[in-house]
Amino acid sequence: MKKVIVHPERCVGCMQCMPACATAHSRSRNLFAAILESPVPKPRIHVGAGLYQEGFPNRCRHCDPAPCLLACLPGAIFRDEELDTVLIDPDKCINCASCAMACPFGVIRYHEDCHAPPGKVVAVKCDNCFERQEQGLIPACVEVCKVNALTFEEPGEALKRKTDEVARSVSLGVSQAELPAGFARFALLIGHKRKELHVGRP
Amino acid sequence: MNDTYAGRTITRDGQLLLEKAEKDRVETVWDRFENQLPQCGYCEMGLSCRICVMGPCRIDPFGEGPQKGVCGADADIIVARNLCRMIAAGAASHSDHGRDLIEVLDEVAKGKAAGYRIRDAEKLKRVASEYGISSDGKDDLKIAEQLAYAMQEDFGTRKKALTLLRRAPAKRRQVWDKLGIAPRGIDRETAEMMHRTHMGVDNNWQSLLLQALRNALSDGWGGSMIATELSDILFGTPKPATTAVNVGVLKKDQVNIIVHGHNPVVSEMVLLACRSEDLLQLAASKGAAGINLAGVCCTGNELLMRSGVAMAGNHLTTELVLTTGAVDMMIVDYQCIMPSLGTVAACYHTRMVSTSDKARFPGMEHREFHPDNAAEEARALVKEAIENFTNRGEVYIPVEPVNAVGGFSVETILGALGGTPQPLIDALKSGTIRGAVGIVGCNNPRIRQDFGHVTLAKRLIENDILVVDTGCAAVATAKAGFKASDAAQMAGPGLRGICSALGIPPVLHMGSCVDNVRILVLASALANALGTDISDLPIAGAAPEWYSEKAVAIGAYFVASGVYTVLGPMPPVTGSMNVVKLLTEGLQDVVGATFSVEPDPEKAALAIRRHIEEKRRGLGLPAQKV
Repeated sequence: MKKVIVHPERCVGCMQCMPACATAHSRSRNLFAAILESPVPKPRIHVGAGLYQEGFPNRCRHCDPAPCLLACLPGAIFRDEELDTVLIDPDKCINCASCAMACPFGVIRYHEDCHAPPGKVVAVKCDNCFERQEQGLIPACVEVCKVNALTFEEPGEALKRKTDEVARSVSLGVSQAELPAGFARFALLIGHKRKELHVGRP
Repeated sequence: MNDTYAGRTITRDGQLLLEKAEKDRVETVWDRFENQLPQCGYCEMGLSCRICVMGPCRIDPFGEGPQKGVCGADADIIVARNLCRMIAAGAASHSDHGRDLIEVLDEVAKGKAAGYRIRDAEKLKRVASEYGISSDGKDDLKIAEQLAYAMQEDFGTRKKALTLLRRAPAKRRQVWDKLGIAPRGIDRETAEMMHRTHMGVDNNWQSLLLQALRNALSDGWGGSMIATELSDILFGTPKPATTAVNVGVLKKDQVNIIVHGHNPVVSEMVLLACRSEDLLQLAASKGAAGINLAGVCCTGNELLMRSGVAMAGNHLTTELVLTTGAVDMMIVDYQCIMPSLGTVAACYHTRMVSTSDKARFPGMEHREFHPDNAAEEARALVKEAIENFTNRGEVYIPVEPVNAVGGFSVETILGALGGTPQPLIDALKSGTIRGAVGIVGCNNPRIRQDFGHVTLAKRLIENDILVVDTGCAAVATAKAGFKASDAAQMAGPGLRGICSALGIPPVLHMGSCVDNVRILVLASALANALGTDISDLPIAGAAPEWYSEKAVAIGAYFVASGVYTVLGPMPPVTGSMNVVKLLTEGLQDVVGATFSVEPDPEKAALAIRRHIEEKRRGLGLPAQKV
């Protein structure tokens, strides 16, 4: 089954995944209309800043076993076996924050949502865009990411690609192994930012 | 002291006021910077394009996603177009500042600008003669009228080349002519740059960047140069004067007025009002011991250079100055004025006033200054500031000011040398002074405030390299004590001897950022005296903490004029290795100088010293191995 895979080394920190996610979970599914809705839709993926101010797209891993699911006393959190997705039932959620305390990745937030009863604050997190998937679309964050920091693919294929990359670097010898052509441009920027951060700080 | 404060700025007043700001729950530029992290990689690499509405477009720097915008522009074209537009905006800003001064001169000539007058008639005649205007039998106002007209023509498109290009060495002008980048009209080059970067016009990244150099030259040898020369004519050519810098220049027992921005047209009138007898009496009647005018940013530099007015801080300090609670009024004109200032001032009793017809800010009252009403308006504002003195709450002025000497125009420097650059050339030839470096530009929260400026200046003067500086860089080194009368002690033995003999500091304040052209004029004078080109001189430029579009234009006109220039922060160009290589290597063969990017001022100092020794070798002068 295809899954969203995060490649943090490719994230350029543009944050386009965030409005795309919020729009996908809005009533109108349209960016310009979505910002006028009440409640204003919020993203379920968040881009953080690393040690060198590089971006990191943080989203629910849909862990198995899932600590949030185990911590949910009212039984609002459940696993959809078909999509292998951990979901939250907004009607059952009592906004107790046990799931957020249990989550090692801090991806569960609390706010009003157009899918929850009006006026009720509930736990909200990534649902793997199951509604989009039912329509044959890929998750919104992946669709909008132009640098392939988020991909939607069979985990086996992604692992094989990574294995092949490592294998080739071994056969070439590390010194000869080269980054793909484009990487140099990003590496130059990140290298510079690292230097900037080290300059003169006490 | 919280590490965060010390990590944000090396200045003691900055650190203490950051603490105060946090206590007062005032958000500063550093907080907003943190909130922006991570910053968008496409934009930082110059790979996002918002020029037309088929887009916005972005290019995958890793080479797998889209490699072309909707129009078909690749990374090279998009990066070049974005950089070119930055330069156009920077050149437009400086040049528009110049235009404002022409308008004042014109109205002075026509007797419509009460309060303003011609303070340096000798310079008026000198500049007029460069424009082919004879002074024989004419009064100053007639000359001024004709000069204003001639300068306005430099902005238009009727000429083949700008008038003041003649100040550049002959060899340099040949380089420009050969490349076809001698600027024709100040407005024309900016307009053409915007035209070329429109979708479907110039899509060759090399020719785009050449036009960007021409556009930058139209600023350096046009708009900015006119701004500086006219400011000197109208407000006086700067002469060395002692002054004081940092937040400690605010006075607890006096009415404190701060001027902020770039244009002396407003601040000079405010200065006059602050010194008028009746307003001083009014201040006394409110219990104030006087009226204390101080500056921040380049408006501050303009007043400091000409009148020794004290300087409260540079770019990143502008919000913090207000958190002292001691500022009764801040009067702003334009450029580099953070839109957050009105919000900060609202936490205190400070009144905020904007004055330019082209610059408005949230939370500020707008009181428009024009040449005909400026003197009157300035008096009204100073009066209101005095009345606001009694509304003060608690005041926190945490440091004592540092003494400094400013006001080193080219005229002053050459005057101190006996009228010719020969003594400086002799010192350069013998190696007593290894070379000279212009440190310019802004503060940027990406770099610890003032660390880049101060560290670089320190390393250079220690190694007998004379430093001239402008803008926020100049304020940074002043705060660090490099412009005090005894600062020569900080210099290496050669430079120390010369500075002590002449009674000057080893770091010379040459003015505001528009005044970077003074450095071009000085470099031309040296090159002309040696019969060589600017690119052969043992000199360099540096902008260790730049942030603004104007700084990109300045950097580009330095390089296009033959000055090797080291930048601290990386411009948004890394998305195209072709553009990066052209700027850092290729330009050497084109204009005889390149950009270099190095955020670490220690390494930048080494690179600059190596460059200077190499140029010395090229001129057949004794050179060291660095």
